[in-house]
Amino acid sequence: MNELIEQLKSAYAVLVVPARADTQAAAVPAVVQPTDPERRGCHLEVTVTPAVVVDAAQVANRFGFAIDTITGIDWPEAGQMEVVYDFFHPQHRLHLVVRTRVPRDAPALPTIQDVFPGANWHERETHDFFGIKFIGHPDLTPLLLPEDADYHPLRKDFTNVSRSSN
Amino acid sequence: MSPGHPTDSSVSAAAPRETFVLNVGPQHPATHGVLRLKLTMDGEYVLHAEPVIGYAHRMHEKMGENRTYVQFLPNPSRIDYLSAMHYMHAYVCVVERALGIEVPPRAEYIRVITSELNRIASHLVWFGAFLLDLGAFTPLLYAFDDREKILDLLEAVTGSRLTYCYYRFGGLCNDVDEQFIEGTRAFVKHMRGRLGMYHKLVTENLILRKRLEGIGVISAELCRKYGATGPVLRGSGVPCDVRKLEPYSVYPEFEFDVPHFAEGDCMARYKVRMEEIAQSLRIIEQAIAKLPPGPVMAEKVPRVIKPPPGDYYFAVEAARGRFAIRLVSDGTEVPYRLKLRTPSFSNLALFGEAARGLLMQDALALLGSLDLVIPDVDR
Amino acid sequence: MAEQQAKWLSCAEGGAGSEPGSLVRFARLEQLLDWGRANSLWPLTLGLACCAIEMMAAGAARFDLARFGAEVFRPSPRQADVMIVAGTVNWKMAGPIKTLYDQMLEPKWVIAFGNCAISGGPFVFPGQYAVVEGVDKLFPVDVHVPGCPPRPEALIEGILELEQKITGTRRWPRVKTA
Ligand code: SF4
Repeated sequence: MNELIEQLKSAYAVLVVPARADTQAAAVPAVVQPTDPERRGCHLEVTVTPAVVVDAAQVANRFGFAIDTITGIDWPEAGQMEVVYDFFHPQHRLHLVVRTRVPRDAPALPTIQDVFPGANWHERETHDFFGIKFIGHPDLTPLLLPEDADYHPLRKDFTNVSRSSN
Repeated sequence: MSPGHPTDSSVSAAAPRETFVLNVGPQHPATHGVLRLKLTMDGEYVLHAEPVIGYAHRMHEKMGENRTYVQFLPNPSRIDYLSAMHYMHAYVCVVERALGIEVPPRAEYIRVITSELNRIASHLVWFGAFLLDLGAFTPLLYAFDDREKILDLLEAVTGSRLTYCYYRFGGLCNDVDEQFIEGTRAFVKHMRGRLGMYHKLVTENLILRKRLEGIGVISAELCRKYGATGPVLRGSGVPCDVRKLEPYSVYPEFEFDVPHFAEGDCMARYKVRMEEIAQSLRIIEQAIAKLPPGPVMAEKVPRVIKPPPGDYYFAVEAARGRFAIRLVSDGTEVPYRLKLRTPSFSNLALFGEAARGLLMQDALALLGSLDLVIPDVDR
Repeated sequence: MAEQQAKWLSCAEGGAGSEPGSLVRFARLEQLLDWGRANSLWPLTLGLACCAIEMMAAGAARFDLARFGAEVFRPSPRQADVMIVAGTVNWKMAGPIKTLYDQMLEPKWVIAFGNCAISGGPFVFPGQYAVVEGVDKLFPVDVHVPGCPPRPEALIEGILELEQKITGTRRWPRVKTA
């Protein structure tokens, strides 16, 4: 088990967004942090940049994880939205969390539904609630909200929907 | 038997291959609530199935963000009303984890007893409804009769028949009495006999087996890719149960098996649930034998619940699979974010892929074997 | 002759002229039909959420709705007399429910079963974005059965109430509370 965590750590440590010459952006490594499962409920937290979420999901897939859920968290003060990917392991007591943050005014990141087809609905739901765009997602029409919904109720600045028929 | 699939050479090549879209629901007896299915059909065969959900969306996650921790207590039992106890368990446990509250052992034992009773009640509803889907009406009446016995027990201690709000942060709202203990003992005995009868009446029935065996096969890999859990995953041969894998409460103190069957068909899922009723009875029996005396409420529970800022996660094994809550606290009296991960959502997600190529009536058997609760999908 | 006619008429009205308890009775056809309808209310299967389970329980062994002739749950609105709205209606579902109501044949009745169907129940708060705050916003409701969820007995009482609304008389004496 601990061995598996060590392997995971090293697998994630090499997840680096390479430096880009055109924008002078420096290389960004993934931050891997073990957490106390008794206090927090997960074993490993990985923070990555949005560009490498697909690679992060591929690592989870390689290790035999199953997709638990995807969700968003709105942080208006920081001007960011966080996307949290949860993975559980069907054979071991192991819970993995991948986090990433996107700018709040143009929230977009790649979809992982090619790695985990189950992510399709979770991403659609996150788009419903937060308006986060998943690039490459085949169908982002509202899932839980009415088909014509144009509001994102779990954003912190959401107040109300006006309904003419009410 | 139905005629062969139109790709057979029996159909002349010149015949146009026409498909049509069949809309099932949102109000349809086979969908157990307000689920809608868009089925692209080729004659009797499903080419493509797309569940359309959201007809029972009830804003639970939004409600979590606009009321205090205590005010949210009635909500979890209304997400999946058939396994209300498990959902309450997850909610109180995630808050207890955030606050670092130790729950007295007697309270945890009673939580386990009531949770397992609730699991049996939930499986009984599934048993009745599933067989109703397959065209058998009588088992429903038997199952509901047994379920009423559980409801009587739970109603006496919790005050409600369905949407229990019995657990509190740090324990329970009241202790159980001798009558409950005696009643539960008697029920375990009674249910064992009934289970034997169910197997004789239903499980060994040839018609049922013909309709379920080899139908709607779901592979373990498909479950993993979609995050399906509970009896669906165990029916695909993976002994994954949160109670064993990430033990919570006092489950490690009991002996029980995780039933799993490798076939992955509807029959396997049927057998998993029936076997789980027997295992739950085992747990209840042990818990009652070992029930320790003592208080049912922790001493140091703050009056105002204000968990320290942070991110907490707690998963339990509900009747339909893994239910988890992710709680983000900012240190105030109101949760900052409350994400509910519900098992039916993931279990339904794979329906589209699993139903491909099935006959219409087999697809509906598959749907019934997933044991969906629609408000649990939609939250 | 005129006297005789008046007597006939008052018989038909169920007035003073009719003999109480007599086997043969005279009534308007309409009253007979109402009596028949009230004794065989066929509900539409419309389980939306938690309350639906209590509706199922009412139809199952212990509570046995069949005693009141209302156990024939019909999936097709064309065959149903009474729509028991059991559960939460949200705006996505409002359209389909309205269609179902319109498809039911006259005469038709509606029972709002549970707080959600009556008023939106526990899901009403300022700024809520999904729930219809009571199905009477969509179509007229005849009987309200409160509870979250109401007990199966409450549904039976609701059916008796509806019968009374249809025929004008109550079939079962009201249970007195102490
Ligand atoms: S009234 Fe209560 S029990 Fe009934 S559907 Fe609404 S929340 Fe569920």
